[in-house]
Amino acid sequence: MYRYDEFDAAFVRARTGQFANQVERRLKGEISEEQFRPLRLMNGLYLQLHAYMLRIAVPYGTLRSQQMRKLAHVARTHDRGYGHFTTRQNIQFNWPRLKDVPVILSELASVEMHAIQTSGNCIRNVTTDQFAGAAHDEIIDPRPVGEIIRQWSSLHPEFSYLPRKFKIALNGAPHDRAAIRFHDIGLQATTNGDGDIGWEVWVGGGLGRTPMVAKLINSFVPHEHLLAYLESIVRVYNRYGRRDNKFKARIKILVHEEGLETIKGQVEAEFAEMRGGQLTLPQEELDRISAYFAPPAFSALPDTPVDIAREDILDPVYARWLRHNLNRHVQPGYTSLTISLKPVGGSPGDATAEQMEAVADLAERYSFDELRVTHEQNLVLPHVAIRDLRAVYDGLVAVKLAEGNAGLITDIICCPGMDFCSLATARSIPIAQAISQKFAAPERQKDIGDLKIKISGCINACGHHHVGHIGVLGVEKKGEELYQITLGGDATENASVGKILGPGFDADGVPGAIETLVETYLARRENAQENFIAAYRRLGEAPFKEALYGNG
Amino acid sequence: MAMASTLHSDRQPDKLRSLGIVALNGMFDEMDAVGVMRQAVAEILPGDVAIVSSFGADSVVLLHIAAQVDPSLPIYFLETGKHFPETLAYVEQLKKQLGLINVTAIHPAPHDLARFDPDGDLWETDPDSCCHIRKTEPLEPITEQFGGWVTGRKRFQTKERGVLPHFELTSDDRIKINPLAYFNDADVAAYKAEHDLPEHPLYSHGYKSIGCAPCTSVVAEGEDPRAGRWRGLNKKECGIHYDFSGAIASPMNAADKYSLFKDGTFVADPFRVWDETMVAGEARYAHVPLPVFLENREAFLANPHPLGLLVSPGDRVEDAEADLGRFVSIAIKFPAFTDGRGYSTARLLTERYQYANELRAVGDILQDQIPLMRRCGINAFVITHKPTREALIENRLPEVNIFYQPVGTSEVPVGTRPYLRRAS
Ligand code: SF4
Ligand code: SF4
Repeated sequence: MYRYDEFDAAFVRARTGQFANQVERRLKGEISEEQFRPLRLMNGLYLQLHAYMLRIAVPYGTLRSQQMRKLAHVARTHDRGYGHFTTRQNIQFNWPRLKDVPVILSELASVEMHAIQTSGNCIRNVTTDQFAGAAHDEIIDPRPVGEIIRQWSSLHPEFSYLPRKFKIALNGAPHDRAAIRFHDIGLQATTNGDGDIGWEVWVGGGLGRTPMVAKLINSFVPHEHLLAYLESIVRVYNRYGRRDNKFKARIKILVHEEGLETIKGQVEAEFAEMRGGQLTLPQEELDRISAYFAPPAFSALPDTPVDIAREDILDPVYARWLRHNLNRHVQPGYTSLTISLKPVGGSPGDATAEQMEAVADLAERYSFDELRVTHEQNLVLPHVAIRDLRAVYDGLVAVKLAEGNAGLITDIICCPGMDFCSLATARSIPIAQAISQKFAAPERQKDIGDLKIKISGCINACGHHHVGHIGVLGVEKKGEELYQITLGGDATENASVGKILGPGFDADGVPGAIETLVETYLARRENAQENFIAAYRRLGEAPFKEALYGNG
Repeated sequence: MAMASTLHSDRQPDKLRSLGIVALNGMFDEMDAVGVMRQAVAEILPGDVAIVSSFGADSVVLLHIAAQVDPSLPIYFLETGKHFPETLAYVEQLKKQLGLINVTAIHPAPHDLARFDPDGDLWETDPDSCCHIRKTEPLEPITEQFGGWVTGRKRFQTKERGVLPHFELTSDDRIKINPLAYFNDADVAAYKAEHDLPEHPLYSHGYKSIGCAPCTSVVAEGEDPRAGRWRGLNKKECGIHYDFSGAIASPMNAADKYSLFKDGTFVADPFRVWDETMVAGEARYAHVPLPVFLENREAFLANPHPLGLLVSPGDRVEDAEADLGRFVSIAIKFPAFTDGRGYSTARLLTERYQYANELRAVGDILQDQIPLMRRCGINAFVITHKPTREALIENRLPEVNIFYQPVGTSEVPVGTRPYLRRAS
């Protein structure tokens, strides 16, 4: 994991001091809320429905146990005992007081954390695959380059007042677990004809009210030129992105309106000027940063498979957890495991201080001190020896975090919605709770298999509903909450945006409608191996539409 | 009413109140001014609301609305002792005509006057202190008595007020009610005409915004109505913010007259804003807008006088690349501090085209932007915002002065990592 050197530590200290000054000026009334707004946003501080909300960066989703313990401490001391993990691999606290925020930030700085650029119209926290550096199918661990991008984008003077927020995601394996095609810039590791590793650059993806799949702007940018290429794109966006309409200000609209070829021409012209200049990345620097992310000292273990069949008989609940929550590791005898923050009937992504501490202890003991936050609002212990699984499981059971539902229908992504968010037009958490209750029976979940449901409380789509196999979007119509259901979204390398099939449902009708869709799938699938999204692609929307609305 | 009890609940007043405010603004977003005032006075804060009025040129609308809702609503008039006699007469006229039965004049403390302004000319040398003893101090004991204040502020009046809502929560947990938030000039005029309201007697003499006599002057046709207040002094905004304005700022000194900050101090600015009457071949010391320059390029290049170039967002500096050396100053316009296009412009000018003369930022600039602008090559700033000026003079900008990315032409590498920099 990356460790701060003196420079990094001094930087975060200075930034914390700067923000403390800004808060002080606000409290004294020297600056208006309107003037304070972009400043606090650049430091992750939102004004929500009930109070301020502070969003803390977890760069590329990686945490040490010490950092997790600090988050638990903040939750307990400055919040109401819990935190909320987001779809951006960040954590949010919903109840800090403005005057406490500088204190929280300096506490965080003591464990090498910060809230820099977790909001505002700047380059946001970089995100990546939660199994980075552990997955069996990886071309390259994307985190060293993620760290280099994090540093380059931190308080970048040219790009602090972009037309709109700007999100970069990286993915190091062929299978896209970072939804890179739905980011302003998505970087996909790839190998060129000479066998060198570099990056495909995708641009102009995004969700929100105009969901778009990113377009490939360059099929191979070597590491050494990556920052120059990124700076070229962001400069073109800063200069030409629309500023007249907040809803048309993302780069996806620029790419869409101007056309990929025009933007590509401008980016390439910029890049021609910058290429080989001061942003060239020396191999020694890449090596130096990569060393921080070197694999931990794994033991040489036999490649024993996990015997789920045996556990099915002995302890079916444990078996269920093993079946769904493990991800294949590159190192024999090890696995990555997902800690679901989606208990049936709970608030997706929430964790209490006690749970954070318990997870930190398990990470320290069983996962080389490492933890991950996923964009699906779960946690991951990336490097667990298979022989330790039972012990880890028991530890999770003790704090009610042993839900064996990763990737299943109850592993729902859901934004805060009307319960916390001032932009919401509808509730979302209660909908997620009702759905997970409807499908609570483990056997049924297993039978349904992989199915991603994603819920947003308004068109801003923080719950990524467009890329849910089933998406739910809460809207307000004539004073009533109404839920539109979309089908066929996919955030992976087979990226697609879900389609609306017909009129929406009221809150009570949503679980039933989803059940109808699921029943249709179960009845029409070729076999149990054909999952929901595959069946939908084969069958098309017709049978689902008919089941929901009849054929009239 | 549910909202009233929410606001008055003792438990966690701040959160509930701010929640309430958001809800109130949502509920009353569409409501007209009388409706907002009635809700405030009758439902939300019964018996706990008052108005401070200057009885100036645009006070009558708010007062008329108040009279319709409750003629006994407490109204305070700041009798600074410096008003025009016409204003005092106008107070009496409005009381009678609108039927206001609860207007109270508040006076400065005699001992303060004796001590700080014995000759009554403090406004001349130190208007801020004058305002302090004649407005701020007398008002303080009154404000404490009420949980809510009705103001006559309107969104359009100054830029900062572009988002003014109907209800606001102040830092000391009071509620400010702005029934006229959505009114513009035309609405004010229409309202006055509809209700046949009397104008302030000086209005027809060219006084569009009226405060104390010494500090108010006539406004020219088409000028901002507030331009007449504290004319010639660098004083515009009011810390008090009721239906008049009056800022709490420190005394004027020489540097305060200048707004160009360069080489560590405020200096006289030889440049003027370009205007249509200037001629390409003869103009001097003006920042020529880039499109104007391109249109009359030959004439400007033949012009022997010092000239500047004005680059606005959307202009492409590339188009003037060959001629940049002709300018002694280039001004980059930041129409709103959230518009970051100028940062790219500045880097292109200084890094790519090696422009090295004065590069100034003009427009909406706060102290938080200045360090970023400097990194991008900007070396002069036109600043009127008071706290920003002070921060500049005292050299205490909220700054992170070590950097993660190589930018600009003068930053110095730090250590052995390739991209780290610090200010030179
Ligand atoms: S999708 Fe809408 S309701 Fe949900 S968190 Fe985002 S802005 Fe708020
Ligand atoms: S407006 Fe002028 S005269 Fe009136 S109190 Fe202020 S400085 Fe004094």
